[in-house]
Amino acid sequence: MASQLAFKSRIASTESLAKIFNAQEMIASSHIAKARKVAMDAKPYSDAIFDAVQALVAHTHITHPIFKSEEGNNHVAVLALTSDRGMAGAFTSSIIRETEGLLSRLDAEGKRPSLYVYGRRGVTYYKYRSRDIADTWEGDTDKPGVEIAEEISKALLDAYMKPADQGGVSELYIVFTEFVNMVVQKVRVLRMLPVELVQAETEAEEIEANKTAPLYRFEPSADEVLDMVLPKYIQSRIHECLLTSAASETACRQNAMHTATDNARNLIGDLTRKLNASRQAAITQELTEIIGSADALNKKEE
Amino acid sequence: MADKTTMQVTIVASDHPVWSGTASSVTVPASEGAMGILPNHESVLAVIRNGRVVVADVNGSRHAFDVEDGFVSFDSNKLTVAVEHCSDEVSAD
Repeated sequence: MASQLAFKSRIASTESLAKIFNAQEMIASSHIAKARKVAMDAKPYSDAIFDAVQALVAHTHITHPIFKSEEGNNHVAVLALTSDRGMAGAFTSSIIRETEGLLSRLDAEGKRPSLYVYGRRGVTYYKYRSRDIADTWEGDTDKPGVEIAEEISKALLDAYMKPADQGGVSELYIVFTEFVNMVVQKVRVLRMLPVELVQAETEAEEIEANKTAPLYRFEPSADEVLDMVLPKYIQSRIHECLLTSAASETACRQNAMHTATDNARNLIGDLTRKLNASRQAAITQELTEIIGSADALNKKEE
Repeated sequence: MADKTTMQVTIVASDHPVWSGTASSVTVPASEGAMGILPNHESVLAVIRNGRVVVADVNGSRHAFDVEDGFVSFDSNKLTVAVEHCSDEVSAD
């Protein structure tokens, strides 16, 4: 049996670990409030853009490259949203697993995917394996602001708008974690570009749509409004993905840290029991020794 | 009728909502020159350039905001100004 001293030092170190995990859990839960605020603040803007796009779709016949991919270009882009820091359970690894799956699926379809990564963990994972990455971004994965969304969407739209012979891509997939609730987060693959247009299917629906939607005037012209609004739409969609992924990351981290704290407490309980047993054993042994030696002395005198 | 002469105005920047309330008139820097919008304007979706949005609210006081890069949409007596960046309220004069 290990010495009491060894048990004591293991208990002490586990206790300090438990404190760290507990603090991490607290930090994560305070970040959730922050992430929620960022998401709430961005919501009105994305709603406004969504409404504008709907108005455009209802009132114009859209022919914009964002809705129709270039034919015969097998180059596609994949954006993986990982986290900056670890200690978030399986968050980054499940994203990477899904991304690998998607990449091999695309390969099998005869497409040439190029990879974009957001989040330090994902970047280091791919850098370490010296994979080709088209572009990477780091920082603020737990509270992504508009700036980072702007940067990412600009890079990806540039790649999308370029002609095929200059390395342009015809499709954009995003691998991100959907925030279902505090306990459940799901990894999802989303095809962001080209945007799928849901047209009014039957004539009756079209008439219905014309009745309810007011007539619109576009200034300076429908095309120019389209050119302006659509990139913003993509940007706000990407921002939405970043935000839900940030919320998932924080929730994952909180769960992981909660489990770690529980485990540390269990371990401390176990170790304390063993420590007590070992102390009891030592006491019993000492007693037996004393009684034994006293007995021996008494016998000698007789 | 009160809702004949007023409209709902919402100004949102990409990272936070800026101002919302009831207004009697709004001036926006549309791409083809400044545009004044009164209640019950026809539905419009206009690109705006960098400039100043001025809102006259129901009490007659004026609120001004410097905006950059966005659009304005007016639909069923609701005006939405959505811009990339927006300053805090500045003096209207």
